[in-house]
Amino acid sequence: MSFSTVLSAAIQGLHVEMIQVEADVSNGLPMFHMVGYLSSEVKEASERVRTAIRNSGIQLPAKKMVINLAPATVRKRGASFDLPIALAVLASMGIFPEESLKDTLVIGELSLDGSIKAVSGVLPVVMCAREEGCKRCILPRQNIQEGILVQGIEILGADNLTEICRCLNGEQELESFVGGIHHYYDRGCVQQNQKEEVLDYSDIQGQEAVKRATEVAVAGGHNLLFVGPPGSGKSMIAKRVPTILPPLTQEESIEITKIYSVLGMIDKENPLMTGRPFRSVHHTVTKAALIGGGMIPVPGEISLAHGGVLFLDELTEFQKPVLEVLRQPLEEGQIRITRSQGNFVFPANFILICAMNPCPCGNYPDFNRCTCTQAQIQQYLGKISQPFLDRIDICAEAPKIQYEMLAGAKKQESSARIRERVCRAREIQKKRYGQKRVLTNSMLNVNELKEFCRLERREEALMRQAFASLGLTARAYHKILKVARTIADLDESEKIEESHLKEAIGYRTIDKKYWGR
Amino acid sequence: MIYEYWLASIPLLSDCKKRKLREEYGNGKAVYYIEEIRLRFSGFLEGKDVEAILKARKKDVRKEWKQLEEKKIRFVPYFAEEYPTRLLQITDAPYALYVKGRLPDKDVLSVAIVGARKCTPYGEGIALEYGEYLAENGLQVISGMARGVDGAGQRGALNGGGMTYGILGCGVDICYPREHIGLYMDIQDNGGVISEQPPGRPPLPVYFPLRNRIISGLSDVILVMEAREKSGSLITADLALEQGKDVYALPGPVNSQLSQGCHRLIRQGAGILISPEDLLVELGIRNQQSEQKSDKIKKVLENHENVVYSCLGLFPKGVSQLIEETGFSAQEVLERLISLEMKGYIREISKNYYIRN
Repeated sequence: MSFSTVLSAAIQGLHVEMIQVEADVSNGLPMFHMVGYLSSEVKEASERVRTAIRNSGIQLPAKKMVINLAPATVRKRGASFDLPIALAVLASMGIFPEESLKDTLVIGELSLDGSIKAVSGVLPVVMCAREEGCKRCILPRQNIQEGILVQGIEILGADNLTEICRCLNGEQELESFVGGIHHYYDRGCVQQNQKEEVLDYSDIQGQEAVKRATEVAVAGGHNLLFVGPPGSGKSMIAKRVPTILPPLTQEESIEITKIYSVLGMIDKENPLMTGRPFRSVHHTVTKAALIGGGMIPVPGEISLAHGGVLFLDELTEFQKPVLEVLRQPLEEGQIRITRSQGNFVFPANFILICAMNPCPCGNYPDFNRCTCTQAQIQQYLGKISQPFLDRIDICAEAPKIQYEMLAGAKKQESSARIRERVCRAREIQKKRYGQKRVLTNSMLNVNELKEFCRLERREEALMRQAFASLGLTARAYHKILKVARTIADLDESEKIEESHLKEAIGYRTIDKKYWGR
Repeated sequence: MIYEYWLASIPLLSDCKKRKLREEYGNGKAVYYIEEIRLRFSGFLEGKDVEAILKARKKDVRKEWKQLEEKKIRFVPYFAEEYPTRLLQITDAPYALYVKGRLPDKDVLSVAIVGARKCTPYGEGIALEYGEYLAENGLQVISGMARGVDGAGQRGALNGGGMTYGILGCGVDICYPREHIGLYMDIQDNGGVISEQPPGRPPLPVYFPLRNRIISGLSDVILVMEAREKSGSLITADLALEQGKDVYALPGPVNSQLSQGCHRLIRQGAGILISPEDLLVELGIRNQQSEQKSDKIKKVLENHENVVYSCLGLFPKGVSQLIEETGFSAQEVLERLISLEMKGYIREISKNYYIRN
């Protein structure tokens, strides 16, 4: 036997392509040649593979060896092809029967001594393998925990090349699991993870208005903007938002874990993400880092925040073009990146939480301390464009912290209690929207608003009055309706009451026209 | 008149020297044609003054004069009949005024409303109230058309349907600050914009203290709304005292820096502004106090709204503070604030910061 094929996989963005690794050993000038649109780290595999095979005690014959990674149109990157290449070569040398690798997907990086090292992106690869009808996967032992998250596929974990050869020859059994997410829950890892959540809303004294606004935002999936002086606890409140988010479902956990897996950002022992992500982004961030980028794009911060919270502190310090790229993902819940290689779609459904100061010195409207001129304040606010502001439903003021707040020992509400209310409100929304594309109130469009946020005559009159006396725009009007719907859901009220509308009006976004007048 | 304008518009030559030149030679035309040698040996002109005059002779004064007429800017030198008599009484009266619109009526009592540019909503609100009340009672309001108190006072006067005059620190064809363009246009229709700077002169910091003497000079009474310890408004007040005008100051909270200047004035003997009615009584325009109106509001408010309303004042308060003070929940406070705002009793001046209207 001089020709053999091994199944492996390449990751493009978040999408997995199945790759056939073909090896041919034939007579001719001794050489080791690799083809198939390879990046340089894959080309370097030839040295690693040959040395690893030799160090595993197998003599490489002085023959012509050609390796092809098909399909040749897909760009191959990363070190995860080392192991499949080595196995393809060994199979074509007849070290073990080729049938033993039938329906088996292989990934792994080789060390020069023949041991196998962990790779990233295992979860999506194994999931794809199952869909493609593979029966089993051979993975680096360190990646097993990640692999067994996938239901109904056999996972073999290997430490080195020799072990695999003996297994394929039927001389030795490798450690093997049939996957399923229950493994994970059985081991009690979930509880362990949750114990680490030490943040809680009961840590924060006072700030009732901000906490309430946050609760409403989370309940309806609304984007949120905090305005307040430096050190008023804006970030403190934002960091605790994950503690009141509804818990992840299994499907969501897997979806988020996939993203983190591709970027190699998961814990090898406890790979499943059971807490919602909270991504705090520094204001020096670039466009590519935020939405994802590269020749073959990798997911950016907004995808890492998928299902959780993206927190932008010091909103006015961000470069304007960087903020503008958020507009499309905020609308669609995903980001579409186009390259010559093709279109890449990454999920990006998150709650955006921003924090900013009211003026350059941060003390407005405390006239004894604010040193800014009107023009400076206008310019400062001008850094945020109107279209961006339009995507923020709720705006809340985070006041300066008074001494009484710090010293107060009043019992504060715990995150668990708030989360209960949030979950109930989400449940109501789920029931109402049923099979629609809409999951939360924030995703309603104008037609759906008419259907689900109908107002009675009295409330209608209130809105008309507000429209005139507060100078609302049509956009603000729609946002107020959405937020009022969420407040009503929190109240478990079928109908939007006057009090709900009034509270929602209080959360309307800053209107530059009136600022500082 | 062209030559008079030419003399008045010579830059870097003091008003006093211009006046002396004109008095010595009779009129502007004569000054224009004085030989250089006689200028040099006039006895009171320095080298740089002569240079300034010679340089000014080279410019196209006819064209400038034509532009003046096109822009409908009137040129009023000190010897003109329409020159305000109030100004003639001050020691350093401007050589000439440039006017768009009208000049203050000499038979009507004129009141200056001055104060900080960066004022609080309190100062701005009161300035607006006084401006309006004074205008309704037929007084003319003089101010500097600046941001903050000045602009608010003049806007108030316009709201009250009266006459108001803006004294600028730049040419009258320039609107400074730019965001007051609406005010600038309205003042020209209901009063006028006045400056001693020739048209086209940019707003430089040095001109602003100078224009303050015109503000105080043109008015009979000065009201200082809000001023810091060191401020341009206090310069105006000092000048007014020198010119023998009445000064009134608006008291504010003792811990507000923006009221420190006013409090100092009051200690030094300035009048105290209690209410616009009270001011008119003091000025002898009215002689009886009218009823206060504040009790009326309370009756129409709901009990809970009243609690929130009573916690608010003329200095901004945030929602969180109101929650602490009233003991209501966040929802309740917000709801009541919005009701009050929609009824027009309170105003949101920054995100979730409210003041009384």
